[in-house]
Amino acid sequence: MLTPLFFLKRSRVEVPTTQADQPPGSELALYVKGVNKTYPNGIVANRDVSISIMKGEVHAILGENGAGKTTLVKIISGCLKPDSGEIYIDGRRVEIDSPLKAVSLGIGMVHQHFTLIPSFTVAENIALSLPLTGRLSLDQVKERIRSVSEALNLKIDPDARIEQLPVGLRQRVEILRLLCQDVRILILDEPTSVLTPIEVEDLFKMIRELKSKGKSIIIITHKVREALTISDRVTIMRGGRVVKTLTTKETNESELASLVVEGFCPSLKIEHVRRGEPLLIVKDLRVKGDRGEVAVKGVSFVLHSGEILGVAGVAGNGQKELVEAITGLRKADSGTILVRNFDLTNRSPKTIIKNGIAYIPEDRMRRGVILTMSVSENLVLKNFEDPPYSKKMIMDKEAMERSASELITKFGIKASDPWISVNSLSGGNIQKLVVARELSNGASILVAEQPTGGLDVKASEGVHQKMMELKSKGVGILLVSADLDEILKLSDRILVIFEGRIVGEFSRDNCDMKKIARLMLGASA
Amino acid sequence: MELERKRSLALSKGTIRSLYKAGISIGFALLLTSVLFLLTGANPFLAFYYIFAGAFGNVSLAAETLVRTTPILLVSLGLAISFRCKVWNIGAEGQLYMGAMLGTITAVTLGNTPLTLIISLLVSIAGGLAWASVPAFMRAKLGINEVITTFLMNYVSIYLIQWLLAFPFRSPDTLFPESAQIPSSAVLPVLVPYTRLHLGVIIALFVALPLVHFLMMRTTFGYKLKAVGENPEAARYGGINVGRTMFMALIISGALAGLAGFVEVSGIQFRMRPSLSPGYGYTGIVVALLGQNNPVGVALASIFLAAIFNGSTTMSRALGQPQGVVDFIQGVLVIFVLASEYIIRYLERKGVLKV
Repeated sequence: MLTPLFFLKRSRVEVPTTQADQPPGSELALYVKGVNKTYPNGIVANRDVSISIMKGEVHAILGENGAGKTTLVKIISGCLKPDSGEIYIDGRRVEIDSPLKAVSLGIGMVHQHFTLIPSFTVAENIALSLPLTGRLSLDQVKERIRSVSEALNLKIDPDARIEQLPVGLRQRVEILRLLCQDVRILILDEPTSVLTPIEVEDLFKMIRELKSKGKSIIIITHKVREALTISDRVTIMRGGRVVKTLTTKETNESELASLVVEGFCPSLKIEHVRRGEPLLIVKDLRVKGDRGEVAVKGVSFVLHSGEILGVAGVAGNGQKELVEAITGLRKADSGTILVRNFDLTNRSPKTIIKNGIAYIPEDRMRRGVILTMSVSENLVLKNFEDPPYSKKMIMDKEAMERSASELITKFGIKASDPWISVNSLSGGNIQKLVVARELSNGASILVAEQPTGGLDVKASEGVHQKMMELKSKGVGILLVSADLDEILKLSDRILVIFEGRIVGEFSRDNCDMKKIARLMLGASA
Repeated sequence: MELERKRSLALSKGTIRSLYKAGISIGFALLLTSVLFLLTGANPFLAFYYIFAGAFGNVSLAAETLVRTTPILLVSLGLAISFRCKVWNIGAEGQLYMGAMLGTITAVTLGNTPLTLIISLLVSIAGGLAWASVPAFMRAKLGINEVITTFLMNYVSIYLIQWLLAFPFRSPDTLFPESAQIPSSAVLPVLVPYTRLHLGVIIALFVALPLVHFLMMRTTFGYKLKAVGENPEAARYGGINVGRTMFMALIISGALAGLAGFVEVSGIQFRMRPSLSPGYGYTGIVVALLGQNNPVGVALASIFLAAIFNGSTTMSRALGQPQGVVDFIQGVLVIFVLASEYIIRYLERKGVLKV
């Protein structure tokens, strides 16, 4: 067989699958006892954390950025070594010293940032992680993918290239890869942060399916509502400690929210000022995608000063190409992009930045920051050639440090030092860094792609607050988000994009969520 | 104050890691070389003693080591710039020859004038730069891999120069394919009498080294180099012209290689010969990797490799061991510099090392 575990799995006593309407069976799959972890930089990420995961249970770990959720699951999945603590699987004490070991024990993790090779096909990627020796038989791998995916109702084309797949499907491949390795405990780190509402539905359906097959699923999230929807039990973490574990059915949104953040109440006031004059005019824009297909097919819109214009759509409908054409990262085939009546079509990214277009990219790890460089260096990425950061080509480190310290405090970036490399920040803090840089450079137009993806409630509120502030100052914001809630909450106007065309426009007063959702899927309104 | 202290601490952390890397590479290289010595029946300790003595045994030997350091340092400083931006210039050897040839032609043509030296040096810089600009253009504009183009252009350069020396620029007064002697005003003056220690050492150590250090550490160009090298996608997003930065990095490294060539002619050889460089362009790659693209590290690594070059001659005479050991050490060094990051990570995982 393909994996040595296949045989083992057979000989193990099968756990009866629990019914969805029953409380999770009392059989323990994983027990973590008293785990402590302090990072080399002195941050205590886990203090005496204990958690138990039942067989066939969906267990949510809920908490803010930096609560220690990711650290905990990284320890469970063998990516990190705990300073102390014990882990038991099926009642046996185990040492998990590498991700490989974790997989051999039946634990697998889907990271927030995917680990697939874009130019490889689904089958090739999955083959990479299977313990194959000798001649590689892709047909065998494909057969295995087919049998696993059919058993779980996960449709996927084993020959599709990863780079051609939308994020939701990439995630499915990550999960499938673990399932092909006979993983019984599946850990998903912030799985919905990159997904559209429809993709989230699919994911949840998949999770329920897996659960019915007796798999245990640990889902990490900072969204209370999500934990309520999908989980059987919830463990709340705060400041590296477990606050409480609750049965989901016996709790509610406000109880959970108050446990996650002590004394938090949303305070954002959304004002809808009257929009000003046109700032950005996009006329009949056509842009090609990576594979040469026409991804944006004649898009036109106007963004006014003081306006938030939401672009709603399922990922992969031309949003990426549209944004890249506006920010100068991709050539437009035809059409014009005017900023204050100044033609910026196909100009260099630098010219576009200088003309006051800020951009929060979706893929912040690859595009938004340079991981191996310091926080202060990253904060000046777009204006290092301007005073005070440099004069006559000579950089001024003190000015960089001053402004970095200021932004670190102002945006609550958790960095011990402005010269620490971005590598050592958590995903949420990296996003704060990008947001800090883009929102502080005095731009008149902001293109925001999933600006709160991966941020916790408090940090998201902070970003939204800042966006409202910019708006009241007359900045025009193009908000591209797969999070329909976010779009509905913030936008003055909403455009719906489908297959590279704008298929609907709604003003704040006449927007109808159901209608928008239908248009996003290509149905006629 | 607090921040200042922290910063120096953070910096030293990176430096410590680099030192570990260099230490591991050199340690393993010497270890494997020892095995080689043992296999050929020599005492490794004695061999290393002779290498050291041959490099630093007395003033004139130490001066010779510095003389040897000069071209290696000039080449590797340039390569450090290009490697920092992850442009792999393998063509320093050809750029060095091109600079040397054009500098020599200029010096011979101009004859004795007060400006001969300076003009020839500038022409050699321009020569290396021009030679590197061809692959640089192909990289920046057409996306053609610079490893292949720079490397292949070495052969074009060296064979072209062999032909030039055999026919149009052959000196009438020698039997060999070599140029006429450069005029005395094009010769770099000797610094210490009875040695070959020439002004080029000053150019390399006290002009080029601080300039490159400043360029890499303090200027916006240095920032661009690093940004493009570490993440070209983010650099482009930040408004940096990635192609232009790569182009600049490659032609600057060519310029320094060209300078190294003519410094070698005007400080040591006084004529252009087809055998001008014993592979300085390739040694520079080893040095830039070992010095981890840090100018100070590169300077130390240059001296180290120059010492091995010179010391191995003495060692070979004393012990009858082949001089080819120099190439062996260089090769092993490259392998271990590249592997050192993984070795360090492995040791960290095993808890042996804490960086």
